[in-house]
Amino acid sequence: MNKTWLVFRNEFMTHVRKKSFIFGILSMPLFVALMALIGFVSVWLEYNPSPVGFIDPNQVIVNARQVPVEKKQLLQTVQAIHYQDEASAEQSLRDGSIQAYFLLSDNYLNSGEVTMVTNEKTGSNAESDFGDFLAYNLVKNQPPLLAERLLAGPNLIIRSLDGSREMASNDWLSMLLPILAGVLFVIAVNISGNYLLQAVVEEKENRTMEIIVTSISPGQLMAGKVLGNLLVGLTQLATWIFFAIIALNIIPSVFPMKFTPRIDPASMLLIAATFLPAFVMVAAAMGAVGATATEAREAQQITGWFTIPIVIPLWFTTAFMFNPNGALSVAMSLFPVTAPIALPLRAAFTTVPAWQIILSITLLCLLAAFALWLSGRIFHLGMLRYGKRVRLREAFTRSGK
Amino acid sequence: MPNIVVDHIAKNFGNLQAVKDVSFEVNPGEIFGLLGPNGAGKTTSIRIMLDIFKADSGTVSILGGPMTEDKKSRVGYLPEERGLYQEIPLERCLVYLATLKGLEESDARNRINEYLEKFDLAGSRRKKVKELSKGMQQKAQLINTLVHEPEVVIIDEPFSALDPVNTQMVKDLLKEERVRGTTIVMCTHQMHQVEELADRIALINKGETVLYGDLREIRRHFASDAVLIRALNPLPSSIPGVHEVRPHNSSTLLKFETGKTPQDILNTLINQGVILEHFEIAMPSLDEIFIQVVNNKDALE
Repeated sequence: MNKTWLVFRNEFMTHVRKKSFIFGILSMPLFVALMALIGFVSVWLEYNPSPVGFIDPNQVIVNARQVPVEKKQLLQTVQAIHYQDEASAEQSLRDGSIQAYFLLSDNYLNSGEVTMVTNEKTGSNAESDFGDFLAYNLVKNQPPLLAERLLAGPNLIIRSLDGSREMASNDWLSMLLPILAGVLFVIAVNISGNYLLQAVVEEKENRTMEIIVTSISPGQLMAGKVLGNLLVGLTQLATWIFFAIIALNIIPSVFPMKFTPRIDPASMLLIAATFLPAFVMVAAAMGAVGATATEAREAQQITGWFTIPIVIPLWFTTAFMFNPNGALSVAMSLFPVTAPIALPLRAAFTTVPAWQIILSITLLCLLAAFALWLSGRIFHLGMLRYGKRVRLREAFTRSGK
Repeated sequence: MPNIVVDHIAKNFGNLQAVKDVSFEVNPGEIFGLLGPNGAGKTTSIRIMLDIFKADSGTVSILGGPMTEDKKSRVGYLPEERGLYQEIPLERCLVYLATLKGLEESDARNRINEYLEKFDLAGSRRKKVKELSKGMQQKAQLINTLVHEPEVVIIDEPFSALDPVNTQMVKDLLKEERVRGTTIVMCTHQMHQVEELADRIALINKGETVLYGDLREIRRHFASDAVLIRALNPLPSSIPGVHEVRPHNSSTLLKFETGKTPQDILNTLINQGVILEHFEIAMPSLDEIFIQVVNNKDALE
């Protein structure tokens, strides 16, 4: 059996069986779910299901109907009850059968002016639900398609001059995706890079190094370790994405959304094409650090330096938004260390020329290959040095072992 | 044809000359002792043989040529700096390392289970390595060295941290391997441990081979004109041809004059009415030979 495959499998299985990995992989969705739950509870605490009343002196709304509800929702829409006059509405407000009443002004159709009367703060959804009720009843006699269009409002689509790219105003996820993916990438690369680093340092600390290098070449060992940890990181990312997809499917059924989140396959492809070599690059670099360091604690202190350059583009998100083709944005999307996040981020706001995408990904792949080579070399030089570091210069200059 | 040929290797680490000039050959089916004090260059020589380090000069041939990736599976190595993966169960650790030596997983598992039984470790196969005692870990490492039935076995300090029972077990195991035709190199500074096992030796001091050859011939060569005896009655006050009589452990050492032979001394003792319980030619220990060689060399320099 191929020895790289053996190392790869052992590395992967060892990590995914660790309690810390299982805890780590579940903690993120659990944390997000907890945040969502807290959010829901806070909305629910503000929610008041009591109906509201309305007085329509000029008969603007004829044959009032409640807004039809298509799906069963956790928080029911607040019903609107018609009152002939303000006195009866006031009576209902006093006896608590409604939480507020709305008085449509005499020239409501011209001014849109409505007065709300209440004794205490209304539920968070009372005003918006009554707004929806008014809008629905005002257009309900129009042809259904027209009514639906009027209620949904505009969807502004911005298209580039050459037609190669367009962005709809409700397509916010395409813009958010690179940022979210970038954050997840940094977390995943940090976690699995740390695993790799610890694994290499551990082999020095527990003295298995000599047995290993007399069984397998350092190149095979490093390739197996880097790829194994790449899969650990990808497993982590995939699990999080899986939970995110579940969440995206559950959330609209719980909280009504006026649009469906859509993920553009092209941006997913670009994210994958930049993240994979970037992951190899960072993992190999961390492996090299592991080989040069003398103990795990020392190595961990260094790893932060590898993630800082990668997250730099996130600090300049506004620059990417407002000037995606500026010198800074272009430079960061081409520079291999910042490219993993900068390129997809820039692509979310502009059409990146094909040559720049090709150049950026090629540079990333080259740097990843170089990092692998260098880490194998440093590993070879540093593997049997207990308590003594390898200097970077040695990796390039020394021909012997 | 020798399985290992080390030909005038040298290695420097910066200003430190770890190996100056080491040469030896090891034949199939023999136990070879690579001996010397701490810091003599033994481990560096082994690492050069295994291609962990490249020699500055000189050549190494192992199993008929330079070390290659394929040959790694035909060599078993127990380094002085020992260790196993601490956080995983013993059996999984050994199976993984055995597959890296080219064994199929099922084959590796079967052989390891046989060894675990033999080494009295079967009950600990599911324990994490870190939960095992030092002696148990030593035995586990020995399993890892031998499980793939290597043609060449190189063991650095084979008896360190082993109690007398396990030391004897390792000695027996190495003898079995020799019978199987395995080439065994034992590298140690505990020279007395090798005396009963090694067929041939190389003695290294300050990075140089100072003595090399068949162990029995070497000892005979360095044997002084002396015999060891144990008598049932008191020795006479004067023994013709003997110039020194002194106790040596539970025996008595008789040093005889040049020109006399052990046979002459035996005849003399019998003629003097000494009742002998034990008579042997006094062979120097490897430690004594080593000290003698080093002192002579220093005197020459």
